[in-house]
Amino acid sequence: MAPLVEMRNIVKIYSNGVIANNGIDFQIEKGEIHAIVGENGAGKTTLMKILYGSEQPTSGEILINGEPVIFKNPLDAMKKGVGMVHQNFMQIPSFTAAENVVLGHEPTRGISLDKKKAVEETRKLSEQYGLLVEPEAITETINVGMRQRIEILKILYLGAEILIFDEPTAVLTPQETHDLFKAVRVLIEKGKTIVFITHKLREVTEISDRVTVMRNGKIMGTLKTADATREGLARMMVGREVFLDIHKQPLKRGRKVMSIKDLSYVSETGRTMLRDLSFNLYEGEILGIAGVEGNGQTELVEVLSGLRAPASGSALVGETVITAKTPREVRQAGVAHIPEDRLSNGLSLSASIDDNLIVDRFFKPPFKKGVIIDHKVVEDNGKRLIRQFGILTPNGELPVSSLSGGNMQKVVVAREFSSNPKILIAAQPTRGIDVGATEFIRDQLVQKRTDGTAVLLVSADLSEVMSLSDRIITMFEGQITGVFPEASKVTEEELGYYMLGIKRQTAEEMEALL
Amino acid sequence: MKKFFSNPTIREGLRILLAISSALVLGFIITLFVSEDPIGAYRAFLTGPFTRFNRFGDWIEESITLILVGLSVAIAFKANMFSLGTQGQLVLGALVSGVIALYVPLPTILRVPLALVCAMVVGFIWGWIPGYLKANLDANEIVSTLMLNTIAIKLYDYLLVFYIKPKDAGYNVSAPFPVEGQLPSFVPNLPFLNKVYTLFTTNTNITIMLYIVVLAVVVAYYLVFKTPFGYKLRMIGSNMKFARYGGIDTKMTTILVFAISGVFGALAGAHMTMAIQHSIITNISVSMAFEGIIVAILARNNPLYIPLTGLAYGYLRAGANIMERSSDVSREMISIIQALIILFVTAERILPTVQRVIEERKEQNATKERSLPAGGSNEH
Repeated sequence: MAPLVEMRNIVKIYSNGVIANNGIDFQIEKGEIHAIVGENGAGKTTLMKILYGSEQPTSGEILINGEPVIFKNPLDAMKKGVGMVHQNFMQIPSFTAAENVVLGHEPTRGISLDKKKAVEETRKLSEQYGLLVEPEAITETINVGMRQRIEILKILYLGAEILIFDEPTAVLTPQETHDLFKAVRVLIEKGKTIVFITHKLREVTEISDRVTVMRNGKIMGTLKTADATREGLARMMVGREVFLDIHKQPLKRGRKVMSIKDLSYVSETGRTMLRDLSFNLYEGEILGIAGVEGNGQTELVEVLSGLRAPASGSALVGETVITAKTPREVRQAGVAHIPEDRLSNGLSLSASIDDNLIVDRFFKPPFKKGVIIDHKVVEDNGKRLIRQFGILTPNGELPVSSLSGGNMQKVVVAREFSSNPKILIAAQPTRGIDVGATEFIRDQLVQKRTDGTAVLLVSADLSEVMSLSDRIITMFEGQITGVFPEASKVTEEELGYYMLGIKRQTAEEMEALL
Repeated sequence: MKKFFSNPTIREGLRILLAISSALVLGFIITLFVSEDPIGAYRAFLTGPFTRFNRFGDWIEESITLILVGLSVAIAFKANMFSLGTQGQLVLGALVSGVIALYVPLPTILRVPLALVCAMVVGFIWGWIPGYLKANLDANEIVSTLMLNTIAIKLYDYLLVFYIKPKDAGYNVSAPFPVEGQLPSFVPNLPFLNKVYTLFTTNTNITIMLYIVVLAVVVAYYLVFKTPFGYKLRMIGSNMKFARYGGIDTKMTTILVFAISGVFGALAGAHMTMAIQHSIITNISVSMAFEGIIVAILARNNPLYIPLTGLAYGYLRAGANIMERSSDVSREMISIIQALIILFVTAERILPTVQRVIEERKEQNATKERSLPAGGSNEH
């Protein structure tokens, strides 16, 4: 019997000459969960975009149930039952869940939207597939997990048989991920077929039936998940051995370098995002902050790096107060910052790599010579950092926008690490970048720790926090709910309870450990 | 040859030439329809500035103004500030330099520098205002600069009509500037240069502003591309959040960008009164400051290319004036050709998008061709 989907010899060359897919043969069997893994730029997303019609292949063909099809746009694909659950939800925040589910294909009564029918349909689908959604809730007020379920219902409403998920767990908490996987299993029971793109090998082994590994626009192999190991998959992805376990030297905690006292922050809209936070950072120690996104981590990092002023409380580096100071003053005090949103904060995409590497030092000698900036010094600085951090580029004069995601992050890391900070704040340092760059950046963080830098690590990737940190703090609704002095001795589930505020340590319990 | 074209300066030059010459060709086609003697009219247009010495002078004088307003606009645009304040800065620069040229009883060697410096200071201050509003109150710079332009123009008119204009004058014009208040010719009045000096002074108003404008271009180029301030300017222009994150004082940089842009605008105003008009007149700049936007955009906001685009655009304007006077083609027609140039420049920016669409079409068709036979064979 023919596979449900067969993609034959797919080649995709973008107009800028990039070969995203290079002769790909790919099959999906009915009723399976098929994971696609690979580094950034390996061509996974392009292949799936071709499958659901948002990109057209340069050559090659697609067969569904043995019949050749041509998808000129996603609507064509939808008609054949292929739908995509996007990573960035395509929803209108002010609409209700039901309105978003039927968006674009609304049931109508006369010329007006039949709201009752929309709600009914949504409820029906929701119950049928075990995807819990409140049809009448306003989308912007509900959590990410439910918004993702709306996205799934949207394509089920249009009759999708094959559901493509693009990194569905990137935005979810461990508990929400668990719920999603439960829902995925229900979908399979009901006869649907699932393809999902991911970076996380743990998820591959947890849920998929088969896994396809892509590298450099080609398929390196498709195997039964039961036969695959994480190490083996990682090796296929990057073409070399990857150490998923981080090797670090035993903790040598030095002096206290930063102390944060009763820090509170109130947002422009009047919400209290941080409530009386107090903790210390020590030389040679990585302090990890675990928390579901949106529980104040972003605000904490921005207050500590000078981008926001706190409502009350303070942070001191040695004897110097660094809160309510300018970012320049904070940097001068020895704080470096890898920002969470590298594209909007950490880089200027249209400026050259060289220019991006000097934003924190252009005004100091040897960069500034008399009244001008010494071009030669800027160029040498770029050359040195490009080499040292393995940034893949022909030269430093190219704009940062010409780099891949992983290499863009390396530019940020190169700049922040090379300023010899006393304190390094790393927010989501490896989010959305490939395995090779992730490994490199983690190694560099550990290296900084060995060199005696105090590191504050904020990451949505719980396994990253757990494997890199020496000490972990959990945050929930702007408060510290727990502190774990030995990161290696706590389980993911345990952290999860504190991250969701189900469990809390008392102030007395925490005091000595912060 | 390949190397020649890969040089960015040369490519940029060719690009500008291409935009302008395409517009000229279209302009000629239009002239064919509206003129009895299209070739004569177009010849007047294209060669006009070289047919008489005074016309050559007109071209250079106008180009100097265009280059200065172009620099003013380019500095703001490079920082991604859509400032339209050049008009007001120009008008106030003209007013202040004119007043000093008229009333301050000093010899040329002191009066002229004083007038220029005061104009620049006023331009700086007048630029500071929208910069301050933008940086501290997030006031939209388009609105604030346009409003400030109106204030500047009306203030200029008010002072001219009620205080500066001689009581018995029939027009709203000041008394002519004494010779000490006029910019001296760019040719030094030395015995062995006597002939050249006379030639230029009797036919043209090309003054020492020629040297100042060269200096202004160099200063602007260095300021934008070589100094720490220029680095800040380019970073706030390319990503304001990144600049702030990196420790740049974005507020002060924003304010200074507007203020420095004002210096160049005011210099243009001083040039118009002290070199060209030799008096303070109403409507000194009808649209000159806005022409600066075209000059800046053509030069991609790079001060180094602005002399090129300023001279080219100035040539078109000078030629257009001559065509208007010496043929049956109307002023409106000339405006159309100028508008065409703007269109071609913007079209040049649209081109990459068009190319992409065409390629996508091609790819789609190719897919169809390849897939169809396969589909056909399946049916059999």
